[in-house]
Amino acid sequence: MTVAPERTRATIYEGTRIPRPIPTVLQVSDEIAATGDVLPINFGPNHPSTHGVLRLIVDLYGEDVVGLEAVIGYLHTGFEKNMEQKSWWKAITYPERIDYLSFQANELVFVLAIEKLLALETPPKANWMRTCLCELNRIHSHLVWLGTAALELGAISMFWYCFREREQILDLFEMVCGTRMHTRYFQAGGLAEDIPRGFFPEARRFATWMPKAVDEYEGLVDKNKIWLERTVGLGLLSAEDAIALGQSGPVLRGSGVDWDLRRVEPYLAYGDCDFRVPVHHEGDVYARYRVHMEEMRESVKIVSQCLDRLEGMEGEPWIADDRKVVLPPREELHTSMESLIHHFKIVTEGYCVPEGEVYVTVESPRGELGCYVVSDGGPRPWRVKFRAPSFVALEATATCMSDALVADMIAIVGSLDTVMGEVDR
Amino acid sequence: MSWAGVPGVTAVEEAHGETTLVVEPGSLVEACTHLRDAEGFNFLSDIATADYLGWGGKGVSGYIGTASGRDLNLPMTQGLQLTAKPKARRFSVSYHLLSVSETPRRLRVQTWVDDGEPVPTVIEVWPTADWHEREAWDMMGIPVEGHPNLKRILTDDDWEGHPLRKDYPIGGEPVRFSEAE
Amino acid sequence: MAIESDKRLRDHGLHSERLLWPTKGPGKFETEVDELEKKVGLTTLSKAVAWAQTKSMWPDTFGLACCAIEMMSIVSARYDIARFGMEAFRSSPRQADLLIVSGRVSHKMAKPLRQIYDQMLEPKWVIAMGACASSGGMFNNYAILQSVDKIVQVDIYVPGCPPRPEQLMEGIIRLHEAVQAGVPPAYDLRSLAP
Repeated sequence: MTVAPERTRATIYEGTRIPRPIPTVLQVSDEIAATGDVLPINFGPNHPSTHGVLRLIVDLYGEDVVGLEAVIGYLHTGFEKNMEQKSWWKAITYPERIDYLSFQANELVFVLAIEKLLALETPPKANWMRTCLCELNRIHSHLVWLGTAALELGAISMFWYCFREREQILDLFEMVCGTRMHTRYFQAGGLAEDIPRGFFPEARRFATWMPKAVDEYEGLVDKNKIWLERTVGLGLLSAEDAIALGQSGPVLRGSGVDWDLRRVEPYLAYGDCDFRVPVHHEGDVYARYRVHMEEMRESVKIVSQCLDRLEGMEGEPWIADDRKVVLPPREELHTSMESLIHHFKIVTEGYCVPEGEVYVTVESPRGELGCYVVSDGGPRPWRVKFRAPSFVALEATATCMSDALVADMIAIVGSLDTVMGEVDR
Repeated sequence: MSWAGVPGVTAVEEAHGETTLVVEPGSLVEACTHLRDAEGFNFLSDIATADYLGWGGKGVSGYIGTASGRDLNLPMTQGLQLTAKPKARRFSVSYHLLSVSETPRRLRVQTWVDDGEPVPTVIEVWPTADWHEREAWDMMGIPVEGHPNLKRILTDDDWEGHPLRKDYPIGGEPVRFSEAE
Repeated sequence: MAIESDKRLRDHGLHSERLLWPTKGPGKFETEVDELEKKVGLTTLSKAVAWAQTKSMWPDTFGLACCAIEMMSIVSARYDIARFGMEAFRSSPRQADLLIVSGRVSHKMAKPLRQIYDQMLEPKWVIAMGACASSGGMFNNYAILQSVDKIVQVDIYVPGCPPRPEQLMEGIIRLHEAVQAGVPPAYDLRSLAP
């Protein structure tokens, strides 16, 4: 007796396939368990294809996956507790390491939450530059996703192609922010420093080259028969199930729901940017892959638009002028007593954020990244909680894995684009 | 926006452009079902817990920042000492809801519980609550009634204590600084 | 996107041991390794074996967190670790020589880490990549193991958060030089940290 019928190209299903009673655990049905032929295997935390330290306890009946449970927590770092011990300024370094592929989106969400509590307005140059860097980060994240997802399915050379462009993006980050990854560039109020002079020509060069690079990637796998065999019709998730399971980002858009926080709740400068939100309706791994590719192209468009605007903003302030929160410019420290006092207070005690609680969301490359901040009015956060899209995406593994084979498991988990740092925080 | 139709709401707070509905734990599931079916909040974004042990222990200076600097005429900008408003119970559990539809809206539904008091599960309303509630149990020790699989999720299975509580130590090792010796 | 310039790096005021200049003598590390070689006095066969071990030291895929991304980028074309024969990241610890612990090790992950280390065959080396593996990094808290040398013996610590790919390669090359000089792997030298 087999579970999955003949392997035809499956299409999106009606109704719901969320397992009961536990939505995140696919349990072996009684009739299969009665055959005594079920093999539980451990897809352990150290595995080349699990995108980090994810453990899947899988029950196999032949090659069919009949039971699945995801065990996480192998990268639990205690970010939230650590951030309660640090001042607001120092705490900004922590969120970057949560989702280590889209580090600037994490910084952004925490900084936006601080600014919301402070009711602090950021100057337009900061907004546009933040948008530009977040979109570059989106391209970076999708490149690493594509490289590793393709690597796991056997399209090994894609890895080198993707990482070549990734190095170009990291060069841009290094030029602006001083370091390749975990660029601590966003401050409460704007940017840490002004944009360096060499940035615009280099960024333009990248923006002209990138669409051709995406053409190259699509040329490698888009119509490749093996790729299509391994991705079309697998890992199906209907729109209704996706919303019930809290999915967002490419997973939701690959299931046919036209939802992108950059367009429905615009933050930073997205309201002034002209871009398309790609949506596919098949709900399978291939649809999510297509959404990622098209998002890379749209991000390049947004980057070009940001560069157009930023080049005209030479000489404008890059950070808010509020001296109680933002460090004064260094030249002033030699002449102004108040600046010296402000500098001292901010560096030693840190600024205080008024009492309140906020929940801020941004569209990270993985979906809806949220930050819930509670402040007691003091120099340290009282509670910071991050809503990680990958945490929620892993909840959907059980639903996506109905009628999957062992080999498909890797493709499906890969398409959910999870980063374990985010999942475990 | 009137929230009169939602059952079990004891208070409505508006701050920073966000609305918070405070409900009692007993009427939580009813309120959530009503919000999902009648008001269209079909997406549970997050379940955030917070521990208010030691809240308001010391005075802090309240300050509101603006882009152009300090507005001397706004209240609370003189850096006066104030203490945070005391909370009635120790833990708050906030359900962040979103309506994925033509009119996107966000809402926070908040319940307050004491140590050991359970919160009913909303897994029947939004299946995504599964792991969020497990995290609430693991990190804060808030028991969730009716959850089919309430085990530890982020920490080890045999971990003792609930790490994000305020009375749980930060842990780690003391750091020796070379000039101290 | 190469930087075009006809000035040498030292004309810009930069000094690096790793640049191969015909007029440059050995750096401090190389001199020390030379002296060590003379003192330890390896035989020709041991030297040949050590040479072979370093020229294809295969790492295990043990990427944990952010450092894993920089570890992946040393495989990429720009930092190309295939020049050193190390692009074959083995998934099975039984086939791997080098364990690059890249990322923060939580207490839950400590047991699998030790299990992987035990499954590796000797000789085996460990590089603690990044601040988190070397000392716990910025996470001095209940969840993170404060340095991976509490559970495995570490040969080389590479600082950084995350270390640049060039930094990691410097660490790997120093390990190669140490092995060629006859320094035994860490499990023969040290015990675990307290």
